[in-house]
Amino acid sequence: MNGLTSYLKLAAAYIKINFKSLLAYRGAFISQMVAMFINDFVWIAFWCLFFTRFPVVKGWGVNDVITLWAIAASGFGLAHMFMGNALTLPGIIMRGELDSWLLYPRAVLPHLLLGRSSASSWGDALFGIVVYVIFVKPDLPHLLLFLALICSVAVLFVGFSVFTGSLAFFMGSADSVSVQLRIAMITFSTYPSPIFQGFVKILLFTLLPAMFVSHLPVSALRNMSMLDAFYSFAGAFCVLFAGILMFYLGLRRYESGNLMEMRG
Amino acid sequence: MGKYFYIALTSIRSRLAYLAEVGSKTIFLFVVLYIFLCLWKVTYAETNQTSLGGLTLKQMLWYLVVTESIIMSLPTIATLVDQDVRTGALAMQLVRPMSYPLNMLAQTSGERVLSFALNFFVGSIIALIFVGPLDLTWSAVAMFLMLLPLSFALDFTIYFLIGLAAFWLEDTTGLTLIYSRMTMILGGMLIPLELFPEGWQQLLRVLPFSAIVYGPARAFVTGDWHLFLSVFLQQVVAIIVFTITIRIVYNLALRRVFSHGG
Repeated sequence: MNGLTSYLKLAAAYIKINFKSLLAYRGAFISQMVAMFINDFVWIAFWCLFFTRFPVVKGWGVNDVITLWAIAASGFGLAHMFMGNALTLPGIIMRGELDSWLLYPRAVLPHLLLGRSSASSWGDALFGIVVYVIFVKPDLPHLLLFLALICSVAVLFVGFSVFTGSLAFFMGSADSVSVQLRIAMITFSTYPSPIFQGFVKILLFTLLPAMFVSHLPVSALRNMSMLDAFYSFAGAFCVLFAGILMFYLGLRRYESGNLMEMRG
Repeated sequence: MGKYFYIALTSIRSRLAYLAEVGSKTIFLFVVLYIFLCLWKVTYAETNQTSLGGLTLKQMLWYLVVTESIIMSLPTIATLVDQDVRTGALAMQLVRPMSYPLNMLAQTSGERVLSFALNFFVGSIIALIFVGPLDLTWSAVAMFLMLLPLSFALDFTIYFLIGLAAFWLEDTTGLTLIYSRMTMILGGMLIPLELFPEGWQQLLRVLPFSAIVYGPARAFVTGDWHLFLSVFLQQVVAIIVFTITIRIVYNLALRRVFSHGG
């Protein structure tokens, strides 16, 4: 219990420091947040246009897609505003920059992940919540379940980023592969799940676990289904576990970069 | 003009050295085209229509191959100009015996032509596998080949103007993002203009976004002469207007350049 409290204190300290460092470049931070907000909003505009012309796609309406975008954007944002290094993991491994993290008397992975905050992710997180509240107008139980599901999606994105980023231990230059896999995962996550059938559907429950971002959380919110919410969390923690396993298996193969580095 | 042609050629050659990197981006193209195929398949089936916005499912996928290839081939024009302005590298460019805007046009066009060709090739293979060949006519190909370079040139003029804004603004990435997203939505990258609400269509047809994305793609899949003529005219007028604007803004901007020897 003491260990957990200690890690939560560490996380709180990192969040505070990271936020302060983002505020040091206030203009750039705000502009990145706004840019991401606009980027996400364009997609909502696309779906509104699409559903104006075709009101239902395999049982999904415009509110379902807005919910989907709200969950995916907020989940992705929440994951990387607190654990921004998950996005840069392959580069860190490839350049041998893990050395400095290995020296700390803390578990390497959580400490490393907390080390940076992604500025644009704050825009994503804010966008999802604002859009859900304004467009979907949820009652209190729906809003609470939505907030819980954002956490589940955030866990899944961290796990997936760690899993794909850890490929760098085995492949060397895994930057491009990791980015491509992450983009594929995000892209599949942001379209109505019923349009995918057969083998692709199996793929989206396993190797590219987009169904735990799109299908299950949206279904949980539509039907207030605690079972679907449970499956979402279970899937997310499985992906996180796979990511952790991959990282520590890979870490055994890690070779020091003999790199002089100073972290301020 | 010969020197600009060689700059474009050199740009293509240097990009060819990193073909694997350029090629890796086509994975995303595959994902996007597959998803849109699934989405439109369902939409056609649920509406019980064989044609939506005047396009069959096959034409719709080929339309998306062209629009996605145009958008995904975009080089970072505004960022390059922005960096040249911000770092002062522009001063070095100005002493060279060539026009900076034309140099930038040649350099980025070479890169874009190669990237478009690769995207279009991969996209065509995907479309061939999923929906089969398009019933192409020679006239449609000719129209497309005339509209495409003008589309690239028009897109360049707008991005170049955004890049020049770095002389006055702290950061141009926001403007670049807004313009790129407007091109995606209002230019008809994701859905053809015919599927927009009636009231919007007239306005969207006269905006430059549709001349960059929708026009060339629609001409390619339908071979419509009337469309070709109106898009061609729109592109020429827009390029003239934006070129004059660049000339004015560029001359104003040059007054703000201060350089010293070193």
